[in-house]
Amino acid sequence: MKASHEPNLRFLLPSVVFVAVFSLYPIIESFRLSYYRLILTLPWLGQKFIGWDNYYDLATDPVALQSLLTSMTFVAVTTPVEVLLGLGMALVLNESFRGRGWLRAVVLVPWAIPTVVSSQMWRFLFNDRYGLFNFVLFGDATDRYWAPLAEPGLALMSIMVADIWKSSSFAALIILAGLQVIPSEIYEAASIDGASPSQKFRHITLPLVKPALLLALLFRTIDAFKVFDLVFVMTQGGPADTTNVLQFYGYKKSFAEGMIGYGSTIAVAVFLVSLLLSIVYIRLLGTRLLGKEGGA
Amino acid sequence: MKQRSRMRSFHLKALLAILVFCLIVSEAMAQSQLRFVTWRSEAAGVWEQLIADFETRHPGIQVVREIGPHSSTEFHDLVTQKLRNRDPEMDVFFMDVIWPGEFAAAGWASPLDEFFSAAQQKEFLSAPIEANRYRGRIYGVPLFVDAGMLYFRKDLLAKYRLAPPRTWPELVDQAKLILAQERDPYLTGYSAQFKQYEGLICNMMEFIMSNGASLWDEPNLKSTLDGDQAKQAVRFVRDQIIRAISHRGVLAYQEPESLALFTQGKALFHRNWPYAWEVANDPKQSKIAGQVSMMPLPSFPGHKSVAALGGWQLGVSRFSRNPRLAWQFVEYMTSREAQKQIALATGRGPARAALYHDTEVLAKHPHFSARYETFTLAAPRPRTPVYLPLSNIMQRYFSSAIAIPDSNIDQLAGLATRDMDRVLDLLRGRGAP
Repeated sequence: MKASHEPNLRFLLPSVVFVAVFSLYPIIESFRLSYYRLILTLPWLGQKFIGWDNYYDLATDPVALQSLLTSMTFVAVTTPVEVLLGLGMALVLNESFRGRGWLRAVVLVPWAIPTVVSSQMWRFLFNDRYGLFNFVLFGDATDRYWAPLAEPGLALMSIMVADIWKSSSFAALIILAGLQVIPSEIYEAASIDGASPSQKFRHITLPLVKPALLLALLFRTIDAFKVFDLVFVMTQGGPADTTNVLQFYGYKKSFAEGMIGYGSTIAVAVFLVSLLLSIVYIRLLGTRLLGKEGGA
Repeated sequence: MKQRSRMRSFHLKALLAILVFCLIVSEAMAQSQLRFVTWRSEAAGVWEQLIADFETRHPGIQVVREIGPHSSTEFHDLVTQKLRNRDPEMDVFFMDVIWPGEFAAAGWASPLDEFFSAAQQKEFLSAPIEANRYRGRIYGVPLFVDAGMLYFRKDLLAKYRLAPPRTWPELVDQAKLILAQERDPYLTGYSAQFKQYEGLICNMMEFIMSNGASLWDEPNLKSTLDGDQAKQAVRFVRDQIIRAISHRGVLAYQEPESLALFTQGKALFHRNWPYAWEVANDPKQSKIAGQVSMMPLPSFPGHKSVAALGGWQLGVSRFSRNPRLAWQFVEYMTSREAQKQIALATGRGPARAALYHDTEVLAKHPHFSARYETFTLAAPRPRTPVYLPLSNIMQRYFSSAIAIPDSNIDQLAGLATRDMDRVLDLLRGRGAP
């Protein structure tokens, strides 16, 4: 028994080292720094251990709390929409028709374009004077033109639209994989029993694709919570701070302002929230997925 | 079997030899290389020529240019990343006018006093020299200088027999009149930079300071944004500029978008840096070439006009392996000859005072003499190593105050003041900046 296990461990070593250096070490370092006051531009203050002060500051920082709320709103709106749209796309792509291969490739394009590029594109689309968005909605009636990125009430929504456009296809990809493993015999049997398409969807497709749906939800939630590039390119957190998501706030603190200690505290908070979300989802997902496998 | 293993060991040795060779070569090259981190100039050809000239004067030296992003915020990320990592590769870098304090305090920029004498400093405009000084030492050499200017459509003002506005209320009245008469739904009264970013500080500072107020009290380290005159100016921007004569889109504009609106003939008044003059008068890029005038920004009645000082400097990294050579490069690029060539090619205001009286420069850019006054009076943003935290607080305040139509300016100003004072408290016990 023992002999057969040892080489396995040795083979694991490279990836363990990789994870330790590039994931574990930064996480531990962020935790450590979050207990210090370290401001790069004020070197004479030194690196001073201040215990839980940064955490206390974070809990009482209205800007941080507001940006946490912004992040949560962003997650709450984008993830369900993306998963639902993804499900719709996956159902279409799972059918067999001419040109399906092409369509599958095309659907992935938004996800494959680097976000910085597509964010720039959305910034142009939403431009209040020359943007396509206003032209399509109002044509020549320029007095009715909106300025989506300039209105405190619309800016976050505009970023959500860009994110949904970009990430729905990623959800579709995962769900499509889930659809493809459903054996066609089940559908054939149902057809013989006289089930309608909607019955087939409710009683066969939905229960069997659930693990894939949850997986897509998990990935999208965590990713959406960490949204950064869209905000960075499209609004820089404005107007009136309405798109200042937590991850962007942490970036500004650490990298623009040089407040490494406080910035690390924000990074830790983002990490803990993501971890919490993952645990909740993996619990949900694990029982469903593993429960089925265990039974089989 | 044996032969194969011998082959393999030969390969390994060859690989090792190549690696060592590469290391030696790269080390040797680093000794004779000067790395210059910059952004892409509008006159890239002139820069290339100047660098080639420098290389011929210093045989064996190669200047490597690393082109960074044009946006000040993103360029700051790039340069500070290198400085934080004590990267010895970077020798000379561009510095925005607001960074010297930060870079000096953090120990990133080399003090240049031993090379850059007081007499030499006198040849430059005084405002940018002041901006490069921190606690009595000098950390950068000004390359070009910027200051906020008011651009306007002289044809439209002439059509309604209006004289260029001297005060902000006058500007608003003229815009209202012309907008009402022209009945052009595309036309907007005032286009400037009101997005939540660094440019917003420049724009708002010009309104606030031209109402006799300030951003903060530098010697006493106290925010002054909750003073009545400061709040009055902010309220004016919200109610008179944004609501009455602009359209909401300006709240998302940086320089390029606001200038595009003006050059398309869709804006009556426009606030921008001096580079806009060349663009607005270039028939290839502008529909209003020849119909543009430029003047100092208005002020509130009874106060003086204020232009925010902008511009770029050359700094030398504290971690450079070859600071003397780096200085020689800086000295050459900021020499009278080099500055003249750049000024002739780009129309950016040179930092050397004498060039504003240079016949060749004036022949190419007659408006430089009018600009000289604005440049000598331009107000630098306060120098401090905590500029960026303060700027972020102010950006949040200004954007909230002007983008929300019924914002509670008293309350927002109070919050911003409290937050700024907390940051400024970090500087206490260290003497005046």
